[in-house]
Amino acid sequence: MPVMKKHGERMMKFKNKGKDTAAMRRQRVEVTVELRKAKKDEQILKRRSISFSLMDESLSPGEDKRDEIIPLSLEKITEAVNGSNPELQLQATQDTRRILSRQKDPPINQIIELGIIPRLVEFLTYADNAPLQFEAAWALTNIASGTSDHTKAVVEAGAIPAFISLLSSPHMHISEQSVWALGNIAGDGPLYRDALINCGVIPPLLALVSPVTPVGFLRNITWTLSNLCRNKNPYPPLNAMKTMLPVLICLIKHEDKEIISDSCWAVSYLTDGSNDRIQIVVDTGILPRLVELMVSPELIIMTPALRAIGNVVTGTDEQTQAAIDAGVLAVLPRLLRHAKPSIQKEAAWTLSNIAAGPRQQIQQLITCGLLPPLVELLDKGDFKAQKEAVWAVANFTTGGTAEQVVELVQSGVLKPLLNLLLAKDSKTILIILDTISNLFLTAEKLGETETLCLLVEELDGLEKIEALQTHDNNMVYRAALNIIEKYFSGEENPDLQPGTGQDGLYDFSVEKQDFDF
Amino acid sequence: MFVSDCRREFYEAIVSQRVLLLVASDVDALCACKILQALFQCDHVQYTLVPVSGWQELETAFLEHKDQFKYFVLINCGANVDLLEILQPEDDTFFFICDSHRPINVVNVYNDTQIKLLVKQDDDLDVPAYDDIFRDEEDEEEDSENESDGSEPSEKRRRFEEDVIERTMKRRQRREWEARRREILFDYEQYEYHGTSSAMVMFDLAWVMSKDLNDMLWYVSIIIFHRYVTDIGILQRHVSRHNHRNEDEENSLSIDCMRIAFEYDLRLALYQHWSLYESLCNTSYTSASLKLWSVQGQKRLQEFLADMGLPLKQVKQKFNSMDMSLKENLREMIEESANKFGMKDLRVQTFSIHFGFKNKFSASDIVYATASLMENIEKEGPETTNFIKALDSLSRGNLDKLHQGLDLAKKQLRAIQQTVASCICTNLVISQGPFLYCSLMEGTPDVKLFSKPVSLCLLSKYLLKSFVCSTKNKRCKLLPLVMAAPMDVEQGTVIMVGIPPETESSDKKNFFGRAFEKAADSTNSRTLHNHFDMSIIELKTEDRSKFLDALISLLS
Repeated sequence: MPVMKKHGERMMKFKNKGKDTAAMRRQRVEVTVELRKAKKDEQILKRRSISFSLMDESLSPGEDKRDEIIPLSLEKITEAVNGSNPELQLQATQDTRRILSRQKDPPINQIIELGIIPRLVEFLTYADNAPLQFEAAWALTNIASGTSDHTKAVVEAGAIPAFISLLSSPHMHISEQSVWALGNIAGDGPLYRDALINCGVIPPLLALVSPVTPVGFLRNITWTLSNLCRNKNPYPPLNAMKTMLPVLICLIKHEDKEIISDSCWAVSYLTDGSNDRIQIVVDTGILPRLVELMVSPELIIMTPALRAIGNVVTGTDEQTQAAIDAGVLAVLPRLLRHAKPSIQKEAAWTLSNIAAGPRQQIQQLITCGLLPPLVELLDKGDFKAQKEAVWAVANFTTGGTAEQVVELVQSGVLKPLLNLLLAKDSKTILIILDTISNLFLTAEKLGETETLCLLVEELDGLEKIEALQTHDNNMVYRAALNIIEKYFSGEENPDLQPGTGQDGLYDFSVEKQDFDF
Repeated sequence: MFVSDCRREFYEAIVSQRVLLLVASDVDALCACKILQALFQCDHVQYTLVPVSGWQELETAFLEHKDQFKYFVLINCGANVDLLEILQPEDDTFFFICDSHRPINVVNVYNDTQIKLLVKQDDDLDVPAYDDIFRDEEDEEEDSENESDGSEPSEKRRRFEEDVIERTMKRRQRREWEARRREILFDYEQYEYHGTSSAMVMFDLAWVMSKDLNDMLWYVSIIIFHRYVTDIGILQRHVSRHNHRNEDEENSLSIDCMRIAFEYDLRLALYQHWSLYESLCNTSYTSASLKLWSVQGQKRLQEFLADMGLPLKQVKQKFNSMDMSLKENLREMIEESANKFGMKDLRVQTFSIHFGFKNKFSASDIVYATASLMENIEKEGPETTNFIKALDSLSRGNLDKLHQGLDLAKKQLRAIQQTVASCICTNLVISQGPFLYCSLMEGTPDVKLFSKPVSLCLLSKYLLKSFVCSTKNKRCKLLPLVMAAPMDVEQGTVIMVGIPPETESSDKKNFFGRAFEKAADSTNSRTLHNHFDMSIIELKTEDRSKFLDALISLLS
């Protein structure tokens, strides 16, 4: 019974049955995003240390000496920053910036403890001293790149309005540095992101995007924009989103791969929300471009484009249909066969959500030839991708017509599916057992229960299901028992056992003909 | 990697294994092979011998045997290319390479696991330092990996000091390093030459293990005299160690035992098995010095013989049957007259072997005989027949094969002499600017003989020597020679060799290997670098002219 209840619960969650799917889906995404973020942080750390070792070895002795001579002590810095001599101010600020941008473990805390941040923020307003503005902006950027506490120290010194007004500085390098600093502040989390938005960061930021903006500058702007779209609880304000989207749509058509990548990420953040947010993105008509980018040779583009489309198909049937109309089904086979496990997994996740759609969409999925790559993935893919593929099959058997389910079985899904019963993950096993139950329900409808029984037995499935009766997980045990009791208990129908395979009863293809009315 | 202790790292490693012995077809390889076979026989080592005449055969032999063997011993092949690259062996396969070809490929030198080089360390190898040619690619890889792994952008980014400058500096350094690497490798790989004889390396091994026999010493003597003049001193000590008892009357050995002697002899090819006249005519040194291809030269030969006071009838008679009274102080007589005719180097020190009453052979004659057997163009069975025959001819028990070899050698020397004469008389040697060039036409007598690499090389050397004596053009005397001969008429291929100039000192370094490679690359010529000597190539006949043009402009 609990199995049935669980099944019912999940039935409620498929978007064609109940409206709760999106929540469940997103939750799963969230977990993976978290993991990915943690990994990324490790990598950043790694990259930092590399950069430093590179610097160390490539520094000429002369440069080293320059370093030895120039830096003031921390006390001297404090003194000079608080003093009134513009030259000393500049030198001290520059030294601060150097300390923060050179050393392996930048002493951000020490610098904060000096109490000079308010002064540095004040320097940002010295419009007649551009070098000082620049050095201060850089130093503050690097302080804000640290932990939340570090960012907080910068924000609380009043840096947000100062940086926003510097966006319009006549000096490009200063406005670029401000974009960078604001990106760090926005990246801290939803709180500061919205603080920036409320302070009106978006209009001057967007104004910097023009056909003559240098690529390097544009990259910074795009990244900062993506941070302004990032994070939930709460999501960015709808208005802000609507203001930024047209520019992001432009940037996504740029030719620089980093700009494309970051704007794709921005769109993926915006689609990672409620259906009305997805609708706003769909309405821009960007889906065909995203689908095109899904097969980009650059992984840094393919990944966020796939993520964005994956998010879109968690939406309503109409939104999913928009993605299908944009051609997503044509590119998915390639991604399901991609060498990188993370791509396989995201592609399978996307497919599972399309398979959770109405039967017309399931039919399109069949017509576009998604079943063979799905079966391949189930058979040989990375385990995480296999789990997603299992979901896809489960959704398919839940929402598909008997005819469609027959086609699924014909494409050879049973063998790899049954093999995965050996997996260690009990959640996956449960889904597979549910799927098998679904298949039997269809077979019952068609009067082909015995054929399916034989097929499962032939593929050593019965053995595996029987073995699951000793599984530690109670739910697994019950689900397995349920199937055994219902379909494999004794010789209740000895005459129905086909002694011959030749009469074709084995094969679902015959049923299909019977069924085809 | 180089093996520092041949006994421990090589012999003891293979002695209880099944070994595949891959042996190149040159006399040094045969001699080395003989020594190793004798050692293997002592210790009951299971081995299979496969002769290989070029890279293609080496690859085929490897593919055929790689499943049954893990230990491969390569003699006079394999050192000068990246062996792991061309053979793609499994990780548990080991190669012991005893090869005189230089330069040794750097990958072979620095591979610590699968490649063991049996090379004398005191050789002047000048291998580039590891750090100059290899570089860990980690930095770059990690960089690009980070860029392309498709993970989410970082939420915050610190701006580093002069990111851009660092990166460009790094890139510039890398470019400089690469340029330097190319230069170093170019210098290192530019010239091809021969290092210590493989037979010598094998003999040293036998000696270290106190398993050296006089027979083994003879194998080394043969090859040392042929090519590796510098090692003569060492060898001489071994020879007297093994043969000193002969001088002691009381302990003298039976006449049947083998004796090796290091003595003065005449630099006349095969004269002890020929007539003195034939030998004088067909020895490169005398023929070139007297310019025998011309009427003048023939006259000079008559004068030379008259000066020595040797009757023509005696001179044209088999040497063995010459009057004993004439033979007694023949060497002194010849030497005296030779000096007058400008042949100051007619007397040389050489090794010779005696056993029984009538068997005496000089080392150089054995080389001629063995090489001729190896390239015998008359087919007598499968491909390996020639090799086996040549190998057998080195043993004292196979005198019939040795005599067959001597006969073939005479034929070969005559053919060479006639070809040299006709090339010079018909001005077939042309100066191309940076090198001399001579091409044998299809239909030239004996042309088939010269489709074989060693014979063609020998012809080229003799031709160049004679040409240098015949020409008055001083510049031409300093040029190297490229020689081509038809190889396979049906397939439309020619064989081409390049040899260094006559005048150069004893260590003859050959730059044609690399030059051929480049010329072929730049013209897309269909060439085949199949020979272990890189300065020998096979080429489609139609591609010859564009190939030559490229070679000329490359070397000009």
